[in-house]
Amino acid sequence: MKFEMFHLMPYRELPPDFREKYRSVWVDVPSHLFDPVAAHRMYNDTLDELEYAAALGYDGICVNEHHQNAYGFMPSPNIMAAALARRTRDVALVVLGNSIALYNPPIRVAEEFAMLDCISGGRLVAGFPVGTSMDTNYVYGINPATLRDRYYEAEELIIKAWTEPEVFSFDGKYTQLRYVNIWPRPIQKPHPPVWIPGGGSIETWDWSLKKGYLYAYLSYSGFKRGKTVMDGYWRAAERLGVEPNPYRAGFLQLVAVGESESEVADKFGPHGEYFYNKMLHIYPGFADAPGYRTLETIKAGLLGQVGRFGDRPPELTFKDLVEQGNIIAGTPDQVTEQLEQVIKDLHIGHLMILNQFGSIPHDLAMENIRRCATQVLPKLRHLWEGEWEDHWWIKPLANPQLPGPLRLRDSALAATSGD
Amino acid sequence: METRTVSVRNGMFQTPVLEGGTGSPLLFLHGTHGLQRDRFLNLLSDRFHVIAPTHPGFGEATGSQHLLDLWDLLYYYLDFLDQEGLRGLPVVAHSLGAMVALELAALQPERFTRLALIAPLGLWNPEHPVADIFALTPSELAALMYCDASSEAAQAAARVPQEPDAFVQYMLERAKAMSTSAKYLFPIPNRGLSKRLHRVQAPTLLVWGECDRIVPPAYAEDFRRYLPHAEVAVLPRAGYLPQDEQPETLAETVLAFLTR
Repeated sequence: MKFEMFHLMPYRELPPDFREKYRSVWVDVPSHLFDPVAAHRMYNDTLDELEYAAALGYDGICVNEHHQNAYGFMPSPNIMAAALARRTRDVALVVLGNSIALYNPPIRVAEEFAMLDCISGGRLVAGFPVGTSMDTNYVYGINPATLRDRYYEAEELIIKAWTEPEVFSFDGKYTQLRYVNIWPRPIQKPHPPVWIPGGGSIETWDWSLKKGYLYAYLSYSGFKRGKTVMDGYWRAAERLGVEPNPYRAGFLQLVAVGESESEVADKFGPHGEYFYNKMLHIYPGFADAPGYRTLETIKAGLLGQVGRFGDRPPELTFKDLVEQGNIIAGTPDQVTEQLEQVIKDLHIGHLMILNQFGSIPHDLAMENIRRCATQVLPKLRHLWEGEWEDHWWIKPLANPQLPGPLRLRDSALAATSGD
Repeated sequence: METRTVSVRNGMFQTPVLEGGTGSPLLFLHGTHGLQRDRFLNLLSDRFHVIAPTHPGFGEATGSQHLLDLWDLLYYYLDFLDQEGLRGLPVVAHSLGAMVALELAALQPERFTRLALIAPLGLWNPEHPVADIFALTPSELAALMYCDASSEAAQAAARVPQEPDAFVQYMLERAKAMSTSAKYLFPIPNRGLSKRLHRVQAPTLLVWGECDRIVPPAYAEDFRRYLPHAEVAVLPRAGYLPQDEQPETLAETVLAFLTR
């Protein structure tokens, strides 16, 4: 079983009346709410949190890509991964991912990912999301009619750029290049493992299964909804004759660990509510550009939905979020038990854990990471061992030339590490 | 008026064509909402033989997957018009259809004798941005479509079928109309038409609903400036869909221009 710490890099200091006063956290979120000095702190706190998770034994640390979005402001995840590459040693750098349809030309992704793989010593996991409608259509202006086609063409070009030894030309619909011959190329052969983060589109399952890529269901709806989607994924795998190796599946879960249920509710409650009620406050007009979803997906979704759309989700309490499975919260034992259930029910080999979510401040995040890493994960690592092999993982250099590992500044651990 | 299906480019496109009326032929090119069999077309068909194709990607019109961009659409229309023997005739068109009509007229100035265009798209003025119909919720869009939201036309348009099968059908039609319109208009409805308008030699009527909140009436002046032979008519108590709100006045205005 592998565990990755996922970080959204949220803006942790939106005003209390954000939801009432502004229509969207994404696309047209007002610039006056952004303080670059606060951001300086937030970026560095985030990098500290990810490095800490790595030092405490998470198998991977994840960054992702969003644009004009206060719930995640890493428009260039590669910059974050580069910042992480030299202060970590063994941990996988999971860039989940580059929205490849937005990079012009797509060989930019091939080049930057190759750089990251070389600098890190072969530790890159390459994520290729299609990208949300907010990011791709409304911010980057990509026509929804061509987005998916561009995505498929970009993937084809990137893989070829990594693997074709001779100089080649590429006469695509969206990119035309005469001399493709990237320098550098990745350490990992034939290329870094490719993960496809998806939000539940049917087409994405079939495509990742056929390509042999890992499919990661990334949503904030928690494990109850997650089960429905993952069941669909495993049914597709069966239909396509692909063996149900759990390591070809990933899932995202918000987790809060504390000393008691009530302590967790007190400490994490406001931050969980901040996440769901402010960070997911998205203007419905930006959710779905016409043509972003295929007619098949629309048809499948419509059949439960007479007359109800353009509605905003209601405000949720921490209690709601725990009951609905959006957040797994409790003592280490409670969290361990629930995560074991999730892992088995959804049949996943890669669990991406969000230990910092919403407005969780740095110290509380570090505490949550420490509790999770030392009191929960060790009890779950044995799952799938001996049954399945992980073919979707990094193959790093044995003796990388990197600066020393993170010097732990956390006082509790520094005492034991002699720092 | 009756519908027949026309096969274009060896069956690559199956195009429904609504047709009817006596008189000389008139081409009608619909807008972002799709082709409506409405009072306005009936009034036109009293005086002309109206030929109203559905653009690929709307309704039952197939072949949209072969059209990547506006130029592919224009060449499809050249094929359609040549095949149907439609040349030297007037064209009436709305919004997206009017943009297509202007592009075709610029490509082949002799194709159309006269153009009557209702709220044409194709220019962009940052001081009067065209509403982003692709970023509005359905209720917001409905509120912007009509001059008078309480009018019968507006009420009828806002009605969503409740019966599940009809609802799914309705939503799929809208999804098709919007996603196909987006192909040619997203994110900003400007594909460089202003560079070509000088070639439109045929007399052109620009009709605007006075309270059009989708394509601001200010664009009438922009189009008039670029076009060699253009005049403007503004209809009171009409918005983006004057064919719904003022069908008689619209028909009168258009017919008077076409038969002058």
